[in-house]
Amino acid sequence: MKISAAGFAKVFQYADMFKEGMLCTVYLSLFTVILGFLLALALAVMRMTNFRPFRALGLDRDGHLRDGGFLLLLSRFNPISFLATVYVEIIRATPMLVQLFIVYQVVFNKNVINLPSVTVLGFLKLNRFLPGVIALALNSGAYLSEIIRAGIQSIDGGQTEAARSLGLTQGQNMRFVVLPQAIKNILPAIGNEFVTIIKESAITYTIGVQDLMSAVKAAQAGTFLVLEPLLVVAVMYFCLTFPTSKVIAYFERRMSRGDKR
Amino acid sequence: MATRDSLIQVTDLKKYYNKGAIKALDGVTVNVERGDVMVVIGPSGSGKSTFLRSLNLLEEPTGGSILFDGVDITKRKVKNAEGKIVNLDIDQHRQKMGMVFQHFNLFPHMTILENMTLAPIQVKHISRAEAEDRALALLDRVGLKDRAGAYPIQLSGGQKQRVAIVRALAMEPSVMLFDEPTSALDPEMVGEVLEVMKQLAHEGTTMVVVTHEMGFAREVGNRVLFMADGRLLEQGTPADIFGNPQHPRLRDFLSKVL
Repeated sequence: MKISAAGFAKVFQYADMFKEGMLCTVYLSLFTVILGFLLALALAVMRMTNFRPFRALGLDRDGHLRDGGFLLLLSRFNPISFLATVYVEIIRATPMLVQLFIVYQVVFNKNVINLPSVTVLGFLKLNRFLPGVIALALNSGAYLSEIIRAGIQSIDGGQTEAARSLGLTQGQNMRFVVLPQAIKNILPAIGNEFVTIIKESAITYTIGVQDLMSAVKAAQAGTFLVLEPLLVVAVMYFCLTFPTSKVIAYFERRMSRGDKR
Repeated sequence: MATRDSLIQVTDLKKYYNKGAIKALDGVTVNVERGDVMVVIGPSGSGKSTFLRSLNLLEEPTGGSILFDGVDITKRKVKNAEGKIVNLDIDQHRQKMGMVFQHFNLFPHMTILENMTLAPIQVKHISRAEAEDRALALLDRVGLKDRAGAYPIQLSGGQKQRVAIVRALAMEPSVMLFDEPTSALDPEMVGEVLEVMKQLAHEGTTMVVVTHEMGFAREVGNRVLFMADGRLLEQGTPADIFGNPQHPRLRDFLSKVL
């Protein structure tokens, strides 16, 4: 397969489609990041709540903590955390494509939730775009919540012990001691996840979202060229992801200034 | 049994793991009086740290009781002044117990001054200006006033531990708990930390100190406890413990560390 300038010239006849596709990808990623982050926060909070309805079963007759056994395990059971864990594990263990199709074909089915066929933000078809955003957000929320949780758990337990021994409550400990340190630690991983979302959003062309990838399909079909449209789109994705990771790296450096002597 | 000056009364304190297969604390009974400088010694794994950490419930005991200022803090429900049953507010008791850790546990993202004023401002609700004045006065006492604006990473180990001590003091606790405060320090920095602790002891601060510094136990302590295998095997004045040890385990221990 050879690459020719003439081939690229043909592809550029589809420039408007690529432009709209790029905008669509940006919108997809932005809404996904916002929704996904909110979901991730909710999941992380759910997983770290101290809601234990059977707590009393963990105490013996004198009111002391039991030293083992089934009742101690039961007393530690946290249904809220359990639900969040089940959600995260299911999302992480199933393919993104399957999740996307379940959201689009099952949840946003005409008989369940019937979205009107209107265009939003100029050219986006709501009944394709919204399921795409929701599927991506449901997916990345699970991953982001793991990142947030790991960040919080990476803070040395001695920090919490020191805070609690000074009389700070669990909430104050989180707010003043643990979270400020955790956010610094997880910023690189969150940045990675943002970049991943931009790239993963390409999958939504399979449900007819008119993103960058769908522009490729259109250009390929119209020009009978395979390689050139793909090269163009690869460069365009790179132009989106590379600056994003650089911006995050900049904030990372700024936040770690206090660490150096 | 309780004397008038009793501050912490520990009775038959137990901490079991795995259904009692591991007994970190196996029935410790001890009475800390106001003004006591109680030094806990013993081989590693003897339960000294578990004992100390149980005192402010960083470890939850599986048996026994700890009366602190007359309240059993091992119980989740307590009677309040009006005789109503309420949930125990452990945070309220922890403010009255200062704790100093082996690894300092300063908050690395805050300056020394912020480390010291966080709890007084957030927990005791005193004004920032007042909290800072008090913090600076305390830092002055340990010779670190000029380091108030520094971050913990800029301090030496000995300086960090001195800050950790005054950070706990800023809450004006009624007892100070020290968990091997010099074990993570370079040898040349041990002296400066022990000096601060000695000063506190002379001012009449009630202290419970877990340490391997036998010199400190002998010189500064007024009572020495010897623990092994989660049990309190012997207690007495430094003169008794070091000069006339009774229990064979204690004799064995002293022959190794002195």
